[in-house]
Amino acid sequence: MLTRKQLWRAARDALLYVSLCTVTFIVCFPLIWALSTSLKPKSEIFATPPTLVPRTLTFENYEALLTGRQQYYHSGPQTAPSGPTPAQFFTRWFVNSVIVTAGSTLISIVISTLAAYSLTRFRYWGRSVVPYFSLLGYMVPSIIFVFPLFLMMVRLELTDSLWSLIFGYVSITLPFCMWLMWAFMRSIPIEIEEAALIDGASRYQVFRQVVLPTALPGIIAASIFAMIVSWNDYLFGRVFINSLDNLTLTVGVMLFFEGTHVDWGLLMAASVLMTVPMAILFMALQRHLVAGFGAGAVKG
Amino acid sequence: MEVRLERINKRFGAVQILKDIDLVFPSRKFVTLLGPSGCGKTTLLRMIAGLEDITAGKIWFGERVVNELAPRDRNIAMVFQSYALYPQMTVRRNLGYGLRVRGTPVSEIDTAVERVARILEIDHLLERKPAQLSGGQRQRVALGRAMVRKPDIFLMDEPLSNLDAKLRVTMRGELRRFHLDLNATTIYVTHDQLEAMTMSDLIAVMHHGVVQQYGTPAEIYSKPANLFVAGFIGSPPMNFLEGEISNRRFLVGDGSLPLPALQVEANAQKAVLGVRPQDLSRAPAAGQDTITGTISLVELLGSEKLVEVQLQNRKRMSIQLRADAFVEMGALFHLRFDPQRLHLFDKESGNIIPASN
Repeated sequence: MLTRKQLWRAARDALLYVSLCTVTFIVCFPLIWALSTSLKPKSEIFATPPTLVPRTLTFENYEALLTGRQQYYHSGPQTAPSGPTPAQFFTRWFVNSVIVTAGSTLISIVISTLAAYSLTRFRYWGRSVVPYFSLLGYMVPSIIFVFPLFLMMVRLELTDSLWSLIFGYVSITLPFCMWLMWAFMRSIPIEIEEAALIDGASRYQVFRQVVLPTALPGIIAASIFAMIVSWNDYLFGRVFINSLDNLTLTVGVMLFFEGTHVDWGLLMAASVLMTVPMAILFMALQRHLVAGFGAGAVKG
Repeated sequence: MEVRLERINKRFGAVQILKDIDLVFPSRKFVTLLGPSGCGKTTLLRMIAGLEDITAGKIWFGERVVNELAPRDRNIAMVFQSYALYPQMTVRRNLGYGLRVRGTPVSEIDTAVERVARILEIDHLLERKPAQLSGGQRQRVALGRAMVRKPDIFLMDEPLSNLDAKLRVTMRGELRRFHLDLNATTIYVTHDQLEAMTMSDLIAVMHHGVVQQYGTPAEIYSKPANLFVAGFIGSPPMNFLEGEISNRRFLVGDGSLPLPALQVEANAQKAVLGVRPQDLSRAPAAGQDTITGTISLVELLGSEKLVEVQLQNRKRMSIQLRADAFVEMGALFHLRFDPQRLHLFDKESGNIIPASN
């Protein structure tokens, strides 16, 4: 027989779980709906009443995106779209996004880690204010930077190349990565390095064998930030790139809206494929992310 | 290996941290740099380690000046206050790191690590990371890391200060034993006079970047060179009375005390008389060598009792008595001063006025 107290506790727990499930469902609903739509045949997408779980499961949208096969909306050649379709470019855009994300993240992390090490370990004029000034850039909307950066890319003859995006993303992710790494490096006791120096390590060995492994949670947190910013950016991709071949996913996926016909199945499949890499990355690294941001928050 | 410091100076900008330090740390001795925080003892240790630049002066290791030598080329080992273990490495890798970076063959590293781990009784912890160890265990790993390379000189920066009181007592004995086993010169930094007294062959008492006195623990305790050393060494601390020397007596308030024969007889000289609570005794009645006051505080320390006596000039003196001694708050108390156990200091300079014996 349950006591009054136990009953009260059970009711409270039940209420808590129901509320949590509801909130989770609301938050996840767009993603669930996108996944569901991407797995439906075209006939079912606009069915009334709408179905959350597809009655007929199909992977034709994914197949079309991943193979780049021309899709026909209706039977008969007269309805086939003229010219290239966005689906044909999907894998290319995906690879472009991976390249610019990986490239800009790598450059940001290498520079910010070295800069943070220098700022926390060597004495020179201005070293204490640099990290704070570096954050000033985030106080203004990034659209302010886009056009000056674009003009610079024109000068450097880098427009419409992936390099323009890589450098553009470095310019927006580097300051925060540096600040985060700086806060993290400050929390690493200098005695550890001194112990290694006395043990016989050179400055470079100390950095590689002692500092870097200790700073790993910070590096991971900064990398995730840089990757999210680069992967999700729309503005730079829209302004810097004008050929279909060099587009990234975010801008490319918008092309699914253009024209008279929107293929929702394809669009949703593209959205799901776009989300998957970041979701996997997040799940794999979230433990480090919390540790990294935590350290930064306390010490920064 | 002998370590010699020759007119060592250290400045941070306009601030002078160390002034003309001249010290010799004899080979294989355990020498302690003792002083309150901010006295420059850790800076001096770091300069010996090569972690801090030397503003002026020379540091000799044996016959060699090491001023420009990198820490790794000095064949020293250092134990830090925070232990400074490599957090991402296991105990085994922590212990072997110094040998590894010097390119020692793996089999030799394993043998050395296991030998040290056995000595320190941490052989069952070799696969753990520092975060999984207790304070005492971390301390042992830090010691082991220093021992594994067989250094010429051992540097220790307050290695016991993060341990609890009981463990500290145990580790004091162990550190001393390790020193005797290892046969290396040990330079130990602490602010704890008890550690310094119990472990050292020699103590350098430092204050305001200057060595106040350098000698054996017994010398420093029984013949303090100045007021600072007298006040810093000894627990409970020495009592001080200000007064004047007159006809081989010390005039204080409306009383006077007999003094020992002084090397240079002084008259009408302002002085400070120092006497340890253990060197005072209780007189049954007032006499030529006593001062009378009333008991204002009694503290039981276990085997002893610390009694505070307030004199007529409101000055308080502490005396240590046996725990079973009968004392009553507010009662009159006659403090007897043994002339042979008094320390006299010049009031102006603070330096000792030496007795003739």
